[in-house]
Amino acid sequence: MNALDILQLLSPELILALTGFVVVSVDLAMRRRDEGRTAATIALLGLGGALVATLLLAFAGTSTVEAFTLAIDPYSLFFKALAIVSVGLVILASISFMRGKSRYLGEYYALLVFAALAISLAVSATNLVMVYLGIEFLSITSYILASYFRQDLRSQEAGVKYFLYGAVAGAVMLYGISLLYGATGSVDLATVGALFSAEGDQRLLGIAAIILLLAGFGFKASLVPFHQWAPDTYEGAPTPITAFLSTASKAAGFAVAGRVFMVALPNLVADWTAILGSLAILSMTLGNLVALKQTNLKRLLAYSSIAQAGYIVLGLAALNPGGDFDGVGGLLIYLLAYLFTNIGAFLVVMAIEQHSGSVDLAAYNGLIKRAPALALWMTLFLLSLAGIPPLAGFFGKFFVFAAVVERNLLTLAAIAAVNAVVAAFYYLNIVRAMFFVESEEQKPVSVAAGLSAALAISGIMVLVIGIAAQPFITWISRSVEMVLVSGM
Amino acid sequence: MAQQALFLIMAVFTLGMALGTVTSRNIFHSALFLVGSFAGVAVIYFLLEAEFVGVAQIIIYIGAIATLIIFAIMLSRSVTGQNGSPMNRQWAFAALGAALLFAALAWLFSRVDFGSTAQPVPEDAIALIGAGLVTEYVIPFEVASILLLVALVGAILIARERHS
Amino acid sequence: MDLTTFPLLSLILWLPVLGALALFLFADARSIRVTALVVTLLDFAASLLLLPRWTPDGSMHYQEVLAWAAGLDFRYHLGVDGISLWLVLLTTLLGPIVVLFSWRNVTENVRSFFFLLLIQQAGMLGVFLSLDLILFFIFWEFTLIPMYFLIGQWGSGRRVYAATKFFLYTMAGSALMLVVILLLYFQTGSFNWLTLKEAGLDRTLQFWGFLTFALAFAIKVPMFPFHTWLPDAHVEAPTAGSVILAGVLLKMGVYGFLRFCLPLFPQATAIFLPWIAGLAIVGILYGSLTALVQKDVKSLVAYSSIAHLGFVMLGVASMNEQGLSGAVLQSVNHGLSTGALFLMVGMIYDRRHTRLLAEFGGLWRQMPVYSALFMVVVMASVGLPGLNGFVGEFTILLGAFRVNPLWAALGTLGVILAAWYLLAAVRGLLHGPLDNPANQHLADLDRREVLVLAPLVLLFFLIGLFPALFFDKITPAVELLLRDVGPVIGR
Repeated sequence: MNALDILQLLSPELILALTGFVVVSVDLAMRRRDEGRTAATIALLGLGGALVATLLLAFAGTSTVEAFTLAIDPYSLFFKALAIVSVGLVILASISFMRGKSRYLGEYYALLVFAALAISLAVSATNLVMVYLGIEFLSITSYILASYFRQDLRSQEAGVKYFLYGAVAGAVMLYGISLLYGATGSVDLATVGALFSAEGDQRLLGIAAIILLLAGFGFKASLVPFHQWAPDTYEGAPTPITAFLSTASKAAGFAVAGRVFMVALPNLVADWTAILGSLAILSMTLGNLVALKQTNLKRLLAYSSIAQAGYIVLGLAALNPGGDFDGVGGLLIYLLAYLFTNIGAFLVVMAIEQHSGSVDLAAYNGLIKRAPALALWMTLFLLSLAGIPPLAGFFGKFFVFAAVVERNLLTLAAIAAVNAVVAAFYYLNIVRAMFFVESEEQKPVSVAAGLSAALAISGIMVLVIGIAAQPFITWISRSVEMVLVSGM
Repeated sequence: MAQQALFLIMAVFTLGMALGTVTSRNIFHSALFLVGSFAGVAVIYFLLEAEFVGVAQIIIYIGAIATLIIFAIMLSRSVTGQNGSPMNRQWAFAALGAALLFAALAWLFSRVDFGSTAQPVPEDAIALIGAGLVTEYVIPFEVASILLLVALVGAILIARERHS
Repeated sequence: MDLTTFPLLSLILWLPVLGALALFLFADARSIRVTALVVTLLDFAASLLLLPRWTPDGSMHYQEVLAWAAGLDFRYHLGVDGISLWLVLLTTLLGPIVVLFSWRNVTENVRSFFFLLLIQQAGMLGVFLSLDLILFFIFWEFTLIPMYFLIGQWGSGRRVYAATKFFLYTMAGSALMLVVILLLYFQTGSFNWLTLKEAGLDRTLQFWGFLTFALAFAIKVPMFPFHTWLPDAHVEAPTAGSVILAGVLLKMGVYGFLRFCLPLFPQATAIFLPWIAGLAIVGILYGSLTALVQKDVKSLVAYSSIAHLGFVMLGVASMNEQGLSGAVLQSVNHGLSTGALFLMVGMIYDRRHTRLLAEFGGLWRQMPVYSALFMVVVMASVGLPGLNGFVGEFTILLGAFRVNPLWAALGTLGVILAAWYLLAAVRGLLHGPLDNPANQHLADLDRREVLVLAPLVLLFFLIGLFPALFFDKITPAVELLLRDVGPVIGR
């Protein structure tokens, strides 16, 4: 492998890093005169470049290349594309949303780009050191972004809470890593996987390591019982950042968990799938039941995203290499569908927040009269979150459920199915407010261009993934095959 | 045997200092306890024959980070003032949780034999670390520097805007 | 055009969707109405094309198969047999009728209304035409959405409550269905109905599969005690919505039993048949008695639906040729006659904005055309010989009698009660003195309204006088079903 090959393989990361630096410097040179618009444009261009680079690598038929503690394989490329798209949509929506809310918008966009870089690195990591570094990198950018509104106490609380939880979760995860290192003398995932047996007391050690590692991954993915930060942080953080935390950042948690468990602990697969299965039950049930009572949309979507994390992790809990539905495929499809759906929902929240300054359910009353397009998009996203066919969310649920049923985990499948009905109740409640509750306010809602564009992209993707799911599923099953071959 | 005893002493010392850090009512005292805790960890590194990490621990954590923390505290608030109890209502649960975790891990380690993977410390450990950082670990190494840069930007942002 | 290769079923299925999209080409309400009418008429015409070349052999006709995802046996697979044929035709017939009915009394959000009506029709057709279980499930769940908005937006009174209850009830019913569909797949390697019914599933799976599917279908039918959503939804829905709910949506439940529960889970069917029969009879009696005490005509018709669907389910529970054929035909009959009843209730509601029986009386003199047609519709619903209801109910009772005379006896009690409550409606509306001043200037039906009702009334007579035309196509499919399932059940 020569230097040019390496540059090409790392092109998404290099472009992202470069973009981040350029955004900071250009913003400095502009002396913050244009409210971050130039910075946002450069960031979007860079993200576009990185996306092209990622897709080129993904479709060039490159097989797995592992070097310098990173793996460039279809699995990591999938998550990189996901992270880049998600950050791109968030930036697109932020251009109008953040204007006037902060003086330091150049840094804001740069931090978002660095967050995308952090996710790219974390999802490629084949080495526990890199895993830790990637997750910490993502965490630190997220802490800053969550507390970006310096004047707003809630935003401060969001940042501090996230930081305290994150620091503890990171430390606990590091302890788990040290256990694996202690048992095998290696931090390389594949080596750990080869040396770590599931016999006797080593199995106990492995289970302890799984639980400790999960503190880190589950924290990112907001799985119960590592979710306590989520409602307050989601509520207090600037809404675009909430959208980011609930999608790209969450996906990173699942991606890393998937790779670490599959590659480093294949001999303990029965144990970690069982643990993840119980976390799935807890997350779905708790998230949905608490969401029922929420009237603050950001908080409601926070609990909804905890519940969704429960569905998503079912994919890993039902890991079944060689089956018709291997589980990982379900995980990826679910995350793809969930990304556009959840970002879309938050985009509508941003539009309403910008218009009325409120994120309360009451602000959505009669939305169909004031902003029909917004109400229709929101309905689409909510129905997709509820898993109603033929929208994207249905296929996510379908593939995850299929894996669970194929593994014959019928109790789990039944609990998940019943939970879907509970969730429908509160999603429908928002639809009800938008369509059937009269509003005192009659002023039409105007939506900024960037936000509209991001909404349209998300909405169309939710429809396309739902109606023409096939190409996505083919791409995903190819990605998964290679990971399963290399990992298990 | 002596090594074991020394380790035990240092471990207790480190833990005591750490406990002091989180329980002290005076934030300045907390910072001093933190220095002690860092020093305890450094000694443990030396005991493990990881001299490089031990030296790095002293230079970076005690020499730079702890000093910075103390400066920050002295610049930002009165040193002698009481800062209120760092305890909240949940401290008992947290203590219980930590104790349980400790008990579980202690029980676990009493059963697991790590001996098989222990290797002798190579002679040229520092050279190996250096080589590692520019070969296999070059990317984590670079990423760490970007991470520090980002953290720096973030720190400035958080520190500055309130006064603007 | 060669009809054997032409994708006729896809045309029938997707025409309303295309029509719904075409509505966005027009801005004025009139063009939108005309488009909706033309599309539904075309769809009806297309579905009539199914009839001429029909070979009555009970098998699946006009099948279309398209592979979907590589490596997954999930296909776009459509087909129609004697059981679904008349339900498809019922759906496409009610399409133009409700469009025509809603011509003048839907004035706000006209485009959205007809859009929802058209995609609702496509969803229901998809349910009747799908032979792939996933495809079926997608359409089944999808039908919730347009109906939710139809009730919630254009309904009356507690419309939002009714719409939400409808949505959550039916969604809860089908929550576990997907899990069972997947279980079937992993046992047999197929989502295909044709493969699954030959597969011979094991007993436990049949048991749980039946329970899960039956829950979803029983809620939709609705069978006692899963009926509580129905009075709310029917009463609060706009007339067009009530017609579609009663006419077609409930039949999806009956169809589900016939298409999936019986052939896929025959052993379980044998266990549960007495329960279905019992609940069906309770439904007949409960629905009839409750209808008797209603003060609102629309509630009366809504509860009569529970009773009528009880009859249909009694036919299903009989599990013999007469019972099943009767159940299929009676489903269609109920769609026609209850559809007509809801339309007629809607017509006086449009005039008086009340449906309380106490407000009316003596309409004979003021609205002779309305009254005459109302009598015909009531007679059809009661089961007067010569009209459609008689044929259906008689066949079902015959089937039930052959299994258990007691069932038939209790069912007959239901027929008597039906005559009672429907004639009470006739008395309340049409007879007596015309003493309410508000009623003294009511206009009789106009041409559009007569046109709306005419095809239904014609069909009452057609089915009543020439039932063989319909049974000819139903019976072979039922025989085929019984040939597979009958031996297991011992019929």
